Amino acid sequence: MATYSNQHWLLSHIRNSFISTDDTGMCETVMLSDDMPKHYLRKFGNSGAGGDHYHWRRAHKTPPTGGGTTPDRNTRHPDAPLQEVDFICYPGLDLSDDEEDMSTHSFDIQMYPEVGAHRFRSNTAQKLEKLDIAKRRAARIKSVNYLEEVQPPDRDDFFKRKELPLSKAAPAKKEPKANDDELSDEGVQSQLSEQLAKSPKQAQNRFIEFARFDGTSQVGMQTKRINVFLNMLPDPDRNYPLKICVVATAKIQEVIGFVCYRTSLQYPDVPLKSLQHYALYMTEDNDDMEDFPPLDNREPCSKFGFSQLTLAERRPLAPVTRVDYHSQLGSKSMTSVEDKTALSDAAVKALQNISLNGGTSDPGGAGGGGGGDSPHDNVKEYEKRLLNHNDMLEAPMHRTFRLNIIDKRFFKSDVTLGISGERIEIDQCKNAKFWPQKKPVSTPIDFVAHCEILERRHLKALLRIWLKSNSSSPSFSTGCTSAPINASVTTLNAGSGSAGIAHSPSSPGHSSSLFSSSNIRFKHYDFDTDTHTAEQIQNKLNCILEMRSSDLRREFLLQRDRKQEKRQLKL
Amino acid sequence: MGDQQQLILATGGYDHTIKVWQAHTGNCIKTMRFVETSQVNALDRTPDKTRLAACGYQCIRLYDLESNCTAPVINFDGVQKNVTRLGFQEDGNWMFTAGEDHHVRIWDMIAAPPHCSRVFDCEAPVNAACLHPNQVEIAMGSQNGSVFLWDVKSERHERIVPEVDASIQDVAISPDGRYLAAANNKGNCYIWSLTSQDQKMSTLHPTKKIQAHSRYILRCKFSPDSRLLLTTSGDGTVCIWKTDDFSKWRELRIENYWVWDAAFSADSKWLFTASSDGIARLWKLQTKSTIRDYTGHTKAITALSFKDEIVGK
Repeated sequence: MATYSNQHWLLSHIRNSFISTDDTGMCETVMLSDDMPKHYLRKFGNSGAGGDHYHWRRAHKTPPTGGGTTPDRNTRHPDAPLQEVDFICYPGLDLSDDEEDMSTHSFDIQMYPEVGAHRFRSNTAQKLEKLDIAKRRAARIKSVNYLEEVQPPDRDDFFKRKELPLSKAAPAKKEPKANDDELSDEGVQSQLSEQLAKSPKQAQNRFIEFARFDGTSQVGMQTKRINVFLNMLPDPDRNYPLKICVVATAKIQEVIGFVCYRTSLQYPDVPLKSLQHYALYMTEDNDDMEDFPPLDNREPCSKFGFSQLTLAERRPLAPVTRVDYHSQLGSKSMTSVEDKTALSDAAVKALQNISLNGGTSDPGGAGGGGGGDSPHDNVKEYEKRLLNHNDMLEAPMHRTFRLNIIDKRFFKSDVTLGISGERIEIDQCKNAKFWPQKKPVSTPIDFVAHCEILERRHLKALLRIWLKSNSSSPSFSTGCTSAPINASVTTLNAGSGSAGIAHSPSSPGHSSSLFSSSNIRFKHYDFDTDTHTAEQIQNKLNCILEMRSSDLRREFLLQRDRKQEKRQLKL
Repeated sequence: MGDQQQLILATGGYDHTIKVWQAHTGNCIKTMRFVETSQVNALDRTPDKTRLAACGYQCIRLYDLESNCTAPVINFDGVQKNVTRLGFQEDGNWMFTAGEDHHVRIWDMIAAPPHCSRVFDCEAPVNAACLHPNQVEIAMGSQNGSVFLWDVKSERHERIVPEVDASIQDVAISPDGRYLAAANNKGNCYIWSLTSQDQKMSTLHPTKKIQAHSRYILRCKFSPDSRLLLTTSGDGTVCIWKTDDFSKWRELRIENYWVWDAAFSADSKWLFTASSDGIARLWKLQTKSTIRDYTGHTKAITALSFKDEIVGK
């Protein structure tokens, strides 16, 4: 034991044990800067400090120390400082130290993961406990020795010959009417036939193919246990997770299938939709879903460490409903059920608007009292209004446009602009080569003020969309989870670094001076596109805005008028 | 309470698990771990349907079907080599096991713990064994091609070698006790007629040779009404023969997969198959169509057990 009182040896031993038994490599990283054995040696050299240090180490028992890799093994210098250390070390230490020091390296390899005497004991205790459990389990299992001596039965009637009913097959042997393909039905019915007849055809579970991802009792295969909260269940049940065990290699999509399978078994009354409708979301202890996107369907479940998840209907991707990049210019895309319902609602609203107001006021702003009394004018008016109505009807439908957003006055990047009755979305096209991919921006329609065409040049047009921009934007309660505009502004600028997608008017020298009079500030996105598309967008967006008759828009137009008046006054 | 309604199918295979299915829906009720080093060679249920016996490489285990526990209730120690078949006497008084250790053993299951009350040495690895409906004779087939009929009561036996250089893969006796069938690895199936008089051991009369398959036959089995005989094969088919004249009645095909085992329903109208694609299937024999798939095994299914009952006319 004497050798184990060699401080340097102990320190380096501890250190190396930590390093060599830690597969993660963390210990090594942490200890790299804190080479205690080296410190020790250094202090050791500084006459007497070594002793103090030793005591300090003893008292605090801080484990992460050591550094056997120190090349200098000078513990046994016959120098003066060493003499002091000898007070603490056992005498005779110097004799074998060289070998000991060498052996620190090999000792490391033999070390158990648990360093320290008490840990050893607990390990033993653990092993004992395991043995105990195994024993108790084994006690419940009756054991039979296969190779035991034969013990002939003591009872004579142990093997009893049973008289078979004299083969009734004899008369059945000749079945004159048994045609080749049909076996005559003797009228017997089995329990299976009965049950099959009772169970309808669709009793075959449609998620049955996912049954094979069941991980329970799989031998020699990695499995994963997850508690899944089922969002579609009625209230009491949804608070209790479904405990599943899946094969670790199963993809998330397959896990969802398996959960659906288990759900259909456990809650046969709960109607389930098809797989595409569901997604797995991260969840806390209760079944509140986090605002994170669902787990990627294509990833194996072993990749995720969550022990609790929620199966819920797939939400539209937050914060933006992604638009199909490959869709043609101006193609319509209905991205999710939610969107669809929102759109249809908006459309119905629009219809009501028209039927209610159509006669008296003209929502399209086509100039109801155009004044023209001639029938010709009337027809024109009517046509115009019809067209307008069509526009109004179609306006809330989701539609995407591809155009260029103008950045910092002259940078252009390719974006997809999606407009619906609910929101507008700006999403950078994937094929943008030069700039780093920017985050998509979604803005609820309530925050959109106006759309105008600033400039028309031969075939080209400069389109501007005005949005509300103030940091004191009220917490809005739209269904969508997108960030408020001011956040999206920061998203744009922060995400893009030097090259923001839009030059936002909130940046100095822009709109701040424009509408300084009001507490509501506006910013704008500028787009560059062909005249036709620009007009389409302008019409569509303004139609939507007019239908909603938002205060924001009125405020914007008011501010602009005031501004123009001021300008004119100045002039 | 529910066990009268609960009609179950048990399957086991190369994935070291035994699964219990609700027969009419195809839902897996329970999965039990088998031995990590072994496939499941054969499954059988005790006649009272409460326990499931399974055998494999160096293991024989009995599981309780009524509890939720997936651990075995009885485990056999010291088993050597593969145990290829097991089965129960109709009252559950005893169980037989056949193994590649050349021995067929009779286990007294009334005694606690069970003990061995008879041993028969086949002098070659035993691939198959089945119990005569008279409950005292056991037919056995060995790897060296011998077919034995062993009277466990009198301990007399008879031996026949129908084909040299062929290994008997399975034997079967029709429930009416009229026929004994033995199938070998060359795809041939031999039929004997059994006759018995005055409580004496049955005698065998060669009756028919069927060239049933081009490859390995894995199982042969008579239907409960004794009117059909099935053979499953490594050629991916199940052939069903009429015992009237041993002509082929149906052929079911699971392309490219071995059909390891099969079982009739009590009315001989439905057939379960276990195949190497890891799917157990339920076939309607009338139409030769599958009506249920039992998916869940990750590897080949090599054994199944189904116990059905006649519920009435």
